[in-house]
Amino acid sequence: MTAKQLSPEIEARIQQLWPRFPPQNAAKALCIPVLYLAQQQFGMVDDEVVDLVAKRLDLPAAHVRGTATFYTMFNKKAVGRFHLQICTNIGCQITGAYGVFDRCKKRLAVDNHGTTEDGNVTLSEVECLAACGFGPVAQIAERGKPDIPLYFENLDLERIDQILDALAEGRVPTELGS
Amino acid sequence: MGSFDLKIISKYFDLPEAKDVDYYVQHGGYAAARKAVRMDPATILGEVKASNLRGRGGAGFPTGIKWGFVPQGSQTVYLVVNADESEPGTFKDRHILFWNPHMLIEGMIIAARSLGVRNAYVYMRGEMLREYPVLQKALDQAYDKGFLGERCFGSDMALDITIYRGAGAYICGEETALLSSLEGGRGWPRLKPPFPAVKGLWGQPTIVNNVETIANLPWILENGGQAFADLGVGRSGGLRIVSVCGHVNKPGVYELPLTVTGRELIEDVCGGIRGGRKVKGVIPGGVSMPLLTADELDVPFEFDALQNDERIREVEVQPGVKFDLGGGRTLRTMAGSGGVVVMDDQTDMVSACWRILHFFADESCGQCTPCREGTGWLTKVVKRIDRGHGRPGDVELAASIADGIAGNTICALGDAAAWPTLAFLTKFRDEFEAKIRSSTFVAQQRAAAEQGAP
Repeated sequence: MTAKQLSPEIEARIQQLWPRFPPQNAAKALCIPVLYLAQQQFGMVDDEVVDLVAKRLDLPAAHVRGTATFYTMFNKKAVGRFHLQICTNIGCQITGAYGVFDRCKKRLAVDNHGTTEDGNVTLSEVECLAACGFGPVAQIAERGKPDIPLYFENLDLERIDQILDALAEGRVPTELGS
Repeated sequence: MGSFDLKIISKYFDLPEAKDVDYYVQHGGYAAARKAVRMDPATILGEVKASNLRGRGGAGFPTGIKWGFVPQGSQTVYLVVNADESEPGTFKDRHILFWNPHMLIEGMIIAARSLGVRNAYVYMRGEMLREYPVLQKALDQAYDKGFLGERCFGSDMALDITIYRGAGAYICGEETALLSSLEGGRGWPRLKPPFPAVKGLWGQPTIVNNVETIANLPWILENGGQAFADLGVGRSGGLRIVSVCGHVNKPGVYELPLTVTGRELIEDVCGGIRGGRKVKGVIPGGVSMPLLTADELDVPFEFDALQNDERIREVEVQPGVKFDLGGGRTLRTMAGSGGVVVMDDQTDMVSACWRILHFFADESCGQCTPCREGTGWLTKVVKRIDRGHGRPGDVELAASIADGIAGNTICALGDAAAWPTLAFLTKFRDEFEAKIRSSTFVAQQRAAAEQGAP
């Protein structure tokens, strides 16, 4: 098995961002951006990825691990091909988010942060996504693909069913996003 | 207020072409920044001070005074725009970033000129997947036009703006936590003083300003600080952007005069409550702020009024005992982040309180014991009341935990959990007590007592 390596794209991004920080602070400042890019490449930030980032930036692995585990957007273990993230915070709660979330749990047969048996979808309850006006709101990530710049708003049981159907077919229903 | 039609920041909302630099310039954009780069920095500071612009992130601190804290003669000063909007109920900065990125960039150039900044950063929420490419594209355009870089607008002023993306942590909206994160570590708040304006990013003087605050600067420079002050009331200049969510007919982001009351906001601006229902509670500025009841909505949603107006009931620790904000000051509410959450008469207030607490327990950074442990305890107690397992004395227990957190932590997250809890308990105490009276715990106790009785 070949050891993991950071992609050339990450290397290029490091070169691009480095001069934007004071020379003595750049390596540490790049910790979060590089972790983020590494997660896009590998799908998660496990110990191996942490070590890889620490080595590349010449930072103590303990610092990188402490940073990676502090932030919710870094997945410490593998997630499904699609990561469905549903906000249940106040604005979404009072417009029906838990009904939507329960429907997801039932249809996917998973609990919060669980992954379907076929590895297709991970379901997560997330905190406020700053899109409160048109709740309930979800975001979807697809492994190995760039960020999907969409919010899935005004969710109700019908719309979440459409989203779940599409994910089951192996695609992100971008037509439902805004 | 119906005739009010001035728009400062919101004039480009829902206008996709305004994201393009050419359109923005054709409509007068970057004129203020072009002028600013050749202005005396002190003159700009004077205008900002005269404008009575107050920070739009939550605290409402006067921007000009904050800038004035940067020590004279500082060699390196950083400007950081706080675009980590994550206060539940708040979605105005995201709206500004999406629709009006150039006004933010222009404001940053003006601020950088006044403060002597060479490197500025936008700390952007990691979850803003839709807004990040919009702002990055706008920055690229500004560089291409020569508005940013080594010689801004051909002047001798140099400025680089870099977007730094967060990775999911509410606490990073707190300015010192934000700086810890930008330095590349855990988002842990720091003790103040020293304030960031004196010792901030990498130990250098740093001004951290909210997106909306900065986006107001082009208008201030074009029209003068006094004109901006005249738009406002008292010590608060300008207009205010509020985001309204919950049970209203027309939720959304609105730019309004500071004189608008909560009732006008709901009835006139947002078309009233859905389904013809009645309003029950309103959070005026993000969930950290004590909520208002239907009877308290005739107060203008303005910084000073929400804090001082006697029509708003003071928050209590227990009936008749007012919460002490420090120095004998009492707490009514505050304007906060402008995130308005409207709850109709069908809303379960215990459940709403639990969900807010669940959030704070989740987001506590873990540094200070009162917050780390206290938010967890509070969530546990309020959850058991909500789920029908409450015990007699739980309301008092929750209030005493909240009172124990408030004022005893490095940053304001502890207060942010304690204040709304105490407000819910003060204003909707009967709902909590009703749930306890009908709880399984009370039923079991009663059954046991009846069995034991002769």
